[in-house]
Amino acid sequence: MTTMPPAGLLLTVSLTDAHTVCVGIEGDLDYDSSQQLLDETREQLSRHPGTRQLRLDCSRLGTCDSMGLATLLAVHRATGAAGVRLHLDGRPASLERVLRLTGTLDHLTDPQAGAGSVLTEEPRPLVRPDRQDTP
Amino acid sequence: MKRSALRLAPYPVLVADTHGVVRFLNDTASALLPHARPGADVTRAVPGWLASAHQNLSAVPVGSPTGPGSAEPEPSVSPAVRGEIGERSFEAHPTCEVTGEVVWWLVDDTDHLLAREALRMERERTAFLGDASNALLSSLNLARCTAMTARLAAGHLADAALVIEPPVGRGLVMVSCTRDGEPVRRQVGVGPDLVPGLPEALQGFPPVPARWIDPAAAPAWIVPEGFGTVGSIVVTPLPGHGVSAGALVLLRGAGQAPFTENEEVFARLFAARAGAALSAARLYEEQSSITETLMRELLPPVLHDVSGVEFAGAYRPAADSERVGGDFYDVHPAPADSEGQESLVILGDVCGKGLEAAVLTGKIRNTLHALLPMADDHQRVLSLLNGALLNSHHTRFATLVLASAVRHAGSVRLRLTSAGHPAPLIVRGDGQVEEVGTHGTLVGALPEAPAVTVEATLAPGESCVLFSDGITEARGGPLGDDQYGDDRLRSALSECAGMPAAAVVEHIQMLASQWVRGGRHDDMAVVAITAPRNNHLSAVGGRGPGRFTA
Repeated sequence: MTTMPPAGLLLTVSLTDAHTVCVGIEGDLDYDSSQQLLDETREQLSRHPGTRQLRLDCSRLGTCDSMGLATLLAVHRATGAAGVRLHLDGRPASLERVLRLTGTLDHLTDPQAGAGSVLTEEPRPLVRPDRQDTP
Repeated sequence: MKRSALRLAPYPVLVADTHGVVRFLNDTASALLPHARPGADVTRAVPGWLASAHQNLSAVPVGSPTGPGSAEPEPSVSPAVRGEIGERSFEAHPTCEVTGEVVWWLVDDTDHLLAREALRMERERTAFLGDASNALLSSLNLARCTAMTARLAAGHLADAALVIEPPVGRGLVMVSCTRDGEPVRRQVGVGPDLVPGLPEALQGFPPVPARWIDPAAAPAWIVPEGFGTVGSIVVTPLPGHGVSAGALVLLRGAGQAPFTENEEVFARLFAARAGAALSAARLYEEQSSITETLMRELLPPVLHDVSGVEFAGAYRPAADSERVGGDFYDVHPAPADSEGQESLVILGDVCGKGLEAAVLTGKIRNTLHALLPMADDHQRVLSLLNGALLNSHHTRFATLVLASAVRHAGSVRLRLTSAGHPAPLIVRGDGQVEEVGTHGTLVGALPEAPAVTVEATLAPGESCVLFSDGITEARGGPLGDDQYGDDRLRSALSECAGMPAAAVVEHIQMLASQWVRGGRHDDMAVVAITAPRNNHLSAVGGRGPGRFTA
């Protein structure tokens, strides 16, 4: 099952087993295209209520700008609300860098973070190390 | 020709002889010409124009040869004449018999003439409406559009025209124009109630037809200066997009014919086009005024030195046509009289672009301003900001760097916290560039926004540079699609050792702009915090508040 949008983003949806939806992302996740990913995710989640895992295959992802990241966060929120675990597979170095820089890597890949709505999650302990001078 | 054939002819037919006596007429002709009957004199029987045409024709010798080689005299046809019988217009086609009698065929061309005149007028009007639309739609300037409406109406529809703007507050604003005159903008301190039909026309809904008003009952302000006596006045609404775009008042002088129903319809057609153009211009004006107001609030501030610390900033939005985008910076200076108090610098980047991004930017800047009293604890500021921005509808976020700076014994002490933003870079005196080891989570999308605060010290001449990823991710260069990148930024900064803050910012901004040339780029923002290079003032012993030059 393939959807071919007019823009530069190609999403390939496949079902590996009864509980797993895989979405292959090919192209850029940016201001113009990222809404497609969220729409597709929502549709797949409503079409397959038995889903336990959503795997986004990022190996052919181009650039991911701030709107792309906002969309990944929204997808995570949607999967969390549906009790579905989100996996970001095959992350390219650029995506890894953006996720680390913005402090969202743990959140998006944390196996525990998938449960419950993001707004009702238990707060995690603050990282508050002692202040230190730069070398 | 046989009389019986003439009797059955579908047109009025009249036959008269050379003596000017009616010899025959068919029933249709009798009905048309009540005084005509066989034996009557033509001058009495038919209108003057036809009688004199007959006399002229009878003066020509009968049966004259119509061309070379015609041996026998033959009936001939003479040119038609035109005139009115009663209220209708007729063409009279004469046929001269060999006997000298003339058969007059009368053809009613009233409708033909009327249709031709109507077509001519309709063409003229269509051309005018087309020209009017072109003239009106070529400008989105409301004042120019209003003046143009008044000028066109005065030139083509009436002797003078008044465009009354939709009332705002008390009084009426109008533009009046006389034929061949210049549009004049006027204001009167009265409501529209005194002119019959005007309040309805200005209300816009329900649509009202154009309305005649008695010139004697019209108030004096409705007549343009030097117009003279008014003969007739019509008030027409200018329909806008769902709301009224105003009213059009047309005036004609005392000597002129009043407006016909047809002209009134035409005035309404013109009013519809003018109303649409005025309404578009008004919408555009409102929108640009809203944008202007928003931008005034959101434009980055002009930075200056505060308590012995240099601050400089520069901002280039993604599209040069938009002056506000997703990047922002602010400096909240320490109170002037407070020795040892920190100034807070914020540089951030909100996700998205355009007005949405600008509104989120405004929200963040306001929230941070309110949180200033807690600026000694960056984590607390970020947590509160995160809570204020978090909502269930979207995951729009912001990344930012907080920097608290204070002058201390010749150097500048910094506390730096990155919330998911590229870490600041410090340019040391020897040109070495260090990345500050602060990192944290973006704000506005996740339940918590933990971040690590790092302290640093700037010796005189050293700078700390805060920047948005629009700089490092700017695409361009010799091949056109390379990112400017961290390495180029670092090497550019290493040349900035010892420079004042403004020069550092200008240097980076210039290099990045050269890199992208005219190409597409994201917003680019840079702020530099610099410890000034200056000498101890020996006169004050190097101690106390005034111990450095500013």
